Order: sequence, then C-alpha cells, then structure tokens
Amino acid sequence: MNAALRLRYWALIAPAILLLLIFYIFPLVQVLWLSVTEPVFGLDNYAELWDRPLLHRIWWTTFRICAITTAITVVAGYAVAYAMRLVGEQQRTWMLFCVLLTFWLSVLVRAFAWVMLLRTEGMINVGLQEIGLITQPMRLVRNEIGVIIGMVHFMLPLAVLPIYSNMTGINMRLMSAARGLGASPIRTFWSIYLPLSKPGIIAAVILVFVFSLGFFITPAILGGGRVMMISEYIRVSFEETLRWGQATMLASTLLFAVLLTLAVFARFVDLKKVFGAR
Amino acid sequence: MSLLKTHYEKDLYPEIEEAGDSDFARDCVEIAAERLEKGEISRRTFVTALTALGMLPAAMTLGGGDAAADDGEIVVVNWGGPAVNAYYNAFGVPFEKSSGLKVVIDGTGPLGSKIRAMVESGAVTWDVCDTGPGTTLVLQKAGVLQDIDYSIVDRAKILKPFDYVAGCANYTFSYILAYNSERVPQAPKGWADFWNLEAFPGDRTLRKQPVGMMEICLMAAGVPKEEIYPIDIDKAVAKLKEIKDNVIVWGSGSQSQELFRSGEVVMGALWHTRANLLHKESDGKTTWTWNEGVVTAGMWNVPKDNPAGTKAAMDFIASAQDPAQQIVLFEAMGNGPANPAAAKLVPPDQQYIDPGQPQNLALQVFQNADWYEADSGVRGLTNDALSREKWIDALSS
Amino acid sequence: MKDPRVIYGRCFVLGLAWTVLAFMVLPMVIVIPVSLTDQYYLSLPQEEISFQHYVAFFEKEIWLEATLDSVIVATAATFFSVILGTLCTIGCWRLATSWSEAARTFLLVPIIVPTIVQALALYRFWIDLDIIDTYIGTILAHTLVAMPYVVITVSASLANFDVRLEQAARNLGASTLQTIRMVILPSIRPGMLSGALFAFTISFDEIVMVLFITSRNVYTLPKRIWDGIQDHLDPTIASVATLLIAITLALLLTDLWVRQRRKSRLASGTTNET
Repeated sequence: MNAALRLRYWALIAPAILLLLIFYIFPLVQVLWLSVTEPVFGLDNYAELWDRPLLHRIWWTTFRICAITTAITVVAGYAVAYAMRLVGEQQRTWMLFCVLLTFWLSVLVRAFAWVMLLRTEGMINVGLQEIGLITQPMRLVRNEIGVIIGMVHFMLPLAVLPIYSNMTGINMRLMSAARGLGASPIRTFWSIYLPLSKPGIIAAVILVFVFSLGFFITPAILGGGRVMMISEYIRVSFEETLRWGQATMLASTLLFAVLLTLAVFARFVDLKKVFGAR
Repeated sequence: MSLLKTHYEKDLYPEIEEAGDSDFARDCVEIAAERLEKGEISRRTFVTALTALGMLPAAMTLGGGDAAADDGEIVVVNWGGPAVNAYYNAFGVPFEKSSGLKVVIDGTGPLGSKIRAMVESGAVTWDVCDTGPGTTLVLQKAGVLQDIDYSIVDRAKILKPFDYVAGCANYTFSYILAYNSERVPQAPKGWADFWNLEAFPGDRTLRKQPVGMMEICLMAAGVPKEEIYPIDIDKAVAKLKEIKDNVIVWGSGSQSQELFRSGEVVMGALWHTRANLLHKESDGKTTWTWNEGVVTAGMWNVPKDNPAGTKAAMDFIASAQDPAQQIVLFEAMGNGPANPAAAKLVPPDQQYIDPGQPQNLALQVFQNADWYEADSGVRGLTNDALSREKWIDALSS
Repeated sequence: MKDPRVIYGRCFVLGLAWTVLAFMVLPMVIVIPVSLTDQYYLSLPQEEISFQHYVAFFEKEIWLEATLDSVIVATAATFFSVILGTLCTIGCWRLATSWSEAARTFLLVPIIVPTIVQALALYRFWIDLDIIDTYIGTILAHTLVAMPYVVITVSASLANFDVRLEQAARNLGASTLQTIRMVILPSIRPGMLSGALFAFTISFDEIVMVLFITSRNVYTLPKRIWDGIQDHLDPTIASVATLLIAITLALLLTDLWVRQRRKSRLASGTTNET
C-alpha cells in the first residue's frame, strides 16, 4: 500500500478518533485532574480514602455486592448455558430467546418491574401472604437483597452469552471418551468439561464484575437511598454535597478499580475477545 | 441559555449550597399543577397562588430565556412551572398599577450560585429572587445581597425570626408528623411516639436529607425544643440509627405522599403541604400533628446592583406582604402566610392547615439557618455539609 | 441403556436452568397484567381489564414529548455513530498495522469506563461548551458511547470479507470512495445494521448521562420513567413498560425470523447445487 493510500485510510479513521479524543478522553482527563486540584492542589481528596470510615464502608459495600452478584450470576448463567448445550434445537431457541429478551429490554423497565414485585405491598409479598406462607411482609427492596436481585437479573445475559459461546466450541466426544473409560458423569463434568469451559467462565466473571463495579441505575432504584455503592455516592457528592473534589476523586478511584480488574484478568484471557471485539 | 449558566455557576461556586431550600418551592409548583389538573383549583387560583409564592413568571420571555431588564421594569426570579403566562394578570398588574413599573418574571430558578456569579461578574439582571434561609445566609456572607430596607418593608409583617438582614420570609412551611390513623393504635403525640416501634409498629418515612430531620431526632431523644441548637449531629444520627431499619427515605414531596398512598409507611415526617393533600384524598384518615413540627420559610433576596434599583425591589417585596395575596396562596396550596396579620384572615375551618397560626406555632420549633451555615470545625465543612455526610452514613450503614 | 445418574443430572441441570430463565422473564410477565389494571394504583386488574393507562400514555403530553425526544436523540446518535464507526473500522481493517489496531482498540474505551464517571466528565465539559441540556449535547454523548458497538459489529462483518475483492475493485480503477461504497459497504451491511440496532437501543435506554447532562429542554423517555419510579409509581409506567417490552419482543422475533429464513435459504441453495 502506498503512502497516499494509507493516508486516505487514516483519513477515514481520524474523525471518530478525534471526536473521542476531544469530547471523551479530554473530559475524562479533566475529571482526573480535578481530583487533585479541587478545592486545593494536592492529594487531600485521596487522603480521605484512608481517613474516612464512611468511604471505607462504601467501598466495602461495593465490593461485597459485586462479588455476591458475580458469584450468583456466573453459577446461574453457567447452568443455563450448560442446559442449552444439552437440549434440542427447539428448546435451545426458546432458552436463547428468554436470555436475549432480558438482554435487550430497557434496564429501567426491569428495575421498575422489580420494585413493583418486591416492595412490602408488592406482588410477591401480597401473593405469599394470601397463600399463607408468610404472615409479615418480607423486606425485599430498599436494601441489599433488592439490589442484588436486580443486579443479578441485569447481569445474567452477560454471563450466559460468553459461557455458551465458549461451550459451543467444546468437543462433546471428549466427554463420551471419558465416560467410555469408566469415569462417573460427575467426574467427567468436573475434570473435563468444567476445565474446558473455563475461558467462558472467566469472560463472564470479568464482564459481570466490571459492569457491577460502576453500576448505577439498579442500586439507585432498588436500594432506595439505603444501599450506598460507589456510583451512588459519586452522585451524592456531585449533586447534594456539591463536593467536586470528592466526586472526581471517587470517580478516578472507580476507574482505577475497573482498569486494575481488567489488568489482572488480561493475564488469563484475551480481553478483546471478552468484549466481543475480536 | 439561562439553564446552561445556572449549571455552570453551580460548579463555579460549589460552596454555595442550596441547603434544600429550593426543593420545597419546586414541590409547591408541582402540587399546584397536580391540583389544577384534577380540577380542584381553578386556573386563576393557581396562577394567583403561584404569583403570591413568587414562583411564576408574569411575562416570561419566550423559551424560558433570561429576562433582560429594560428601563422601567422589575425582574422577579422564581422556580418556574406550568401555566406561566397567566401570572402577569394576577400579580403583575396590581404592582404595575401601584408602582408604574412593568413586572417581568423569570422562571429560571434563582440558584444561589447563579446570583453570586451575576453579582461578581457585574451583569445583574435580576431584581428580586425567591430563595431560602440557608441560601440567604451564604449569599449574605459572600456580600452579594442588599440588606432589606426595613423602612420600606414592614418588619412587623414578617414572622420572626425570618426577618434576616439580607432576606425576609415570603411564606412559611413545616416538617410535621403525619400518620395514617387507621394503622396506628392511637394518635402519635410527637417524635418519641414516632420512635416507639413497639406501640406503633410499621415503617416510617424520613427525608433523605438531614435538614429538618436532625431537629426531629433530637426531640425524639428528649432534648427540649429550646435546647436543640446547636445541634449535636452525632446524637441526632445515633437516634436515627435506633429506628433506621424501619425507615424508608423520601427524596421528593410526591414520593413522601406515594409512600402513604401505597400503604408502605404508617407514619412520616413530611412537609405539611403534602400531609394536607393526603388528608384530603384519604378523607382525613391520614392526618398530622403540629406538635414538635419544624417550621421554616421561603425568602426574598435582592442582589447587589439590581437593575431596577433598590427602591423598586423593596417596594415589590412590601407589596407582596399584602395579607390578601398570601391568603390566596395559602388557600390554593396550604403554604403558610409569612405575614402574621394574615393568620387572622384564615377561615376558622382552614386554620388547621396553616403552620403560622399562633396555636400551631406554639407547638413547633423554628429552624435555625445560622447553625447550618456555621463552620463545623471538621475538614472545613459547614454544619450543613457535615450533617449530610453523617446522615447518609447512618442511613446506609 | 442410559446411566440413571446421567438422567438425574440432566433433569437437575434443566430444572435449574428453567428456574433461572423463569426468574429472568418474571418481571416482564408481571408488568403486562398490571398495565391493564382498572385501578389507579399499581395492582392486578380487580374487576375488569382496562386500557385506561394506555390511553393516559397517549393523551399525556409529557409522555409523548418524552418519547419524541428519545426518538430524535436515538435516531441522530445512531446515524452519527454508524457513519463514524463504520468508516473508522474500514480504515483500521484495511490498514491492518499495529497502529491502526491500537486506534481500533482505543475506540472501545467507552465500553469499560463506568457510566457515572462518563456522566461526570461529560457534564463538566458540556458546561464549558455550553451544550448542557441541548439536543446536540445529548446526541454527541450518545454517539460517543454507541460508537464502540458499531465498531465491534462492523469488525465482525469485515472479518468475513475477502480483501481480494477490494483489491480487484481498485485494480479496475475504482477510487477509494467508490470501492467503499460499491464493494465494501454492501457486504458489511448486516454488521452495520446490527450496529445500528445496538446504537439505537443504547441511546434509547440511556439514563445515567441523561440525568447529568440534561435538565428541562431535553426530557427523554428513560428520564420520565426514572422520575416516575422515584416519585409516583403509577400504572402508566407499567403501560409504557409493556409497550417497550412489545417493541423488544417484535424486534427479537423479526431477527429470529430473518435468521431462520436465511438459514433455510442457504440450506436449499446448497441442495440445488448438488
């Protein structure tokens, strides 16, 4: 390819790159910069990360909820993906359909439906009371339980899809061979199938954990102001206490946490593949 | 355009905290719009009421842009809302007649940060602004407001202590104890009952922000009304923690109402205007007590170097002290008249809605904005900022 | 005969999987009857099925205006992100150097940055640019976050495209633009289409940035729903939700149908040849 032609192709690339640089990367850097200049130059905002128990708790809440969500989502997602490999074409289409419907449906609609179902006067509590299973309504929303239910629901398709896509590449004859050699079904699954599906699991863990870390909508709606995760507290610092320095510091730390997670996992899998970019 | 600036200036001066002052004013607009929609009030009442509230533009420039002051005009800034145009007929005309000035209303929302930015940049386009006690004090400290000229504005027509140096009350409102009488064994008398989960089982609602709520916590802890200020933030927060598992927080007035409607809470600390709406729609099943309520006010401010001049702005505020106007507002939305003389004009069957009736006032605590704006001594934060942090901390722990 | 352990295991996995799937569709299933309630609060229909809340949606200006705003923003954001994303991907693919690959990777950055961080950053910058609460500002923001998805889907299409076709076109004297328009674009149309679908959905559903960078002038549907959930849970939201579910369902079914048809056509195509 000659230089002129190369230049022409770079000209195709340039608009998108420039747009992203000017209107996205620059503002991001500005925010990172604010975290060391607001209200005064220095690392005072970051010092608060060590000093203030409130911030410790918020980070701990965030990690705890992310970890629980990731664990539940990946196990449940694995079951769905595995079942999809076991069943026939028709049933598989239906299963995939359920997953895709959840995946494409508006996140707000889903959060709304969960509020409706879970609140003390909601369908689940009323239903259970009517059939006499419980006498007092259970607290299912405006607390961590509600947030985790909502988050697991949001993340499930993100777990099922990569795990399933990885499983389609597993040669089922390996399993038959193991069975033929006398291994029990559980042992076959445990020592052959599970290790083979590991890349899918890791991809699912990355996707779910990374998206959970910065997740805003579901915790805000289902947490009812009672579950303070990092994203929500960034909003509070920005909107209610108007502390830009603190908000940007937390945003920077959140971004850093995401990058760190990705860097750790990049050693095990091809990240571009995980995000569907290869 | 105006809005862009509003946002911008909020960031330029992050220390200017609105202290939740404006939330109530916005909520009033919302209530009025709802009632208008339901046909409970006429459009005329609605407009007059918002006028009295200082909340509706008389002759808004199209597209919600900044009203640029010309000669012979006075620009009053408030929180906008529906049905903007009709305001002019209700409130602008009388003042135009008495003063010869054209009244222009700008519904942009007079954020404290915007007022400050205007004054400091020397481009003031507003004459009278509707803010709250907290904002008034912050702006006063920043030196961007004119002192209220109490030779024109009648101090006697303002409920004490809401006659500040650089601001005076234009209406009053309260945080009160509302309850669903069908779901409590007996009427709760005060915050001690509110905290009594055994005698009054069920969930309660408190506001997401601490302003007004910490006073309530302290009363529940048995602190006498006159000893509430200076607030012991840690004590208030510790009291909150006692019942926090049974607390659902409200972020907006309509949400607080919704929590009662859906039956999720049996009691709550609400704005009295919302309690009044619940009272009406439930045929009195949901009601409230003024006992141990926390009363506060909306405020008129005049920025320095206002275009129409000091005298015109003060004249406008003085004319807004007219009890008749304040009564119209009260009848439409239940906002308390700021002029104590108006209390007598309230029809007897409506007095239970008015926070400013002497018998109701006697039961309540006056909110002390000075305390909120004072330095807390911790990390350079005001008491307001520190209490917000600790409040969130307690709610989410 | 089959090992009973295999059968039990299979039953267990299938049972678990369908339980999870039921959990996934439960919220959607429940929203539909609620939207048909005859009550004015959130509940199942008590005495009869009523469409009053759909009527309310189509009669209330605030909902219609919000829908219109969302359609405007999402259409424009889709348009720009597909054009920019596609051109950029073609460039990167054709150059295929480590630099161009880096550029392509760089375009994916918005996927991993937490939305709240983006929202904070854009809010700050949009103020400086004076485009807070404008259509331009909202469209620009949505274009930026939708672009990576276009890049991904178009890249996938290009992976199956034979470079020699492009070279042939060039050897026949076609200019760069002609080559793109007449040779490359037609064969990556499926990728662009699914990129467009992604972009539209992302913009149409986006709430976090909208909460920060818009106020009163731009009021999208998600923001209305958000306000509704925060303030006043009424069945109108359920009817809006049902409409959105119906649209999602329709799109998915269309997609399924198109795939099936393509598959059967391919299948019959091969039989004809043999």
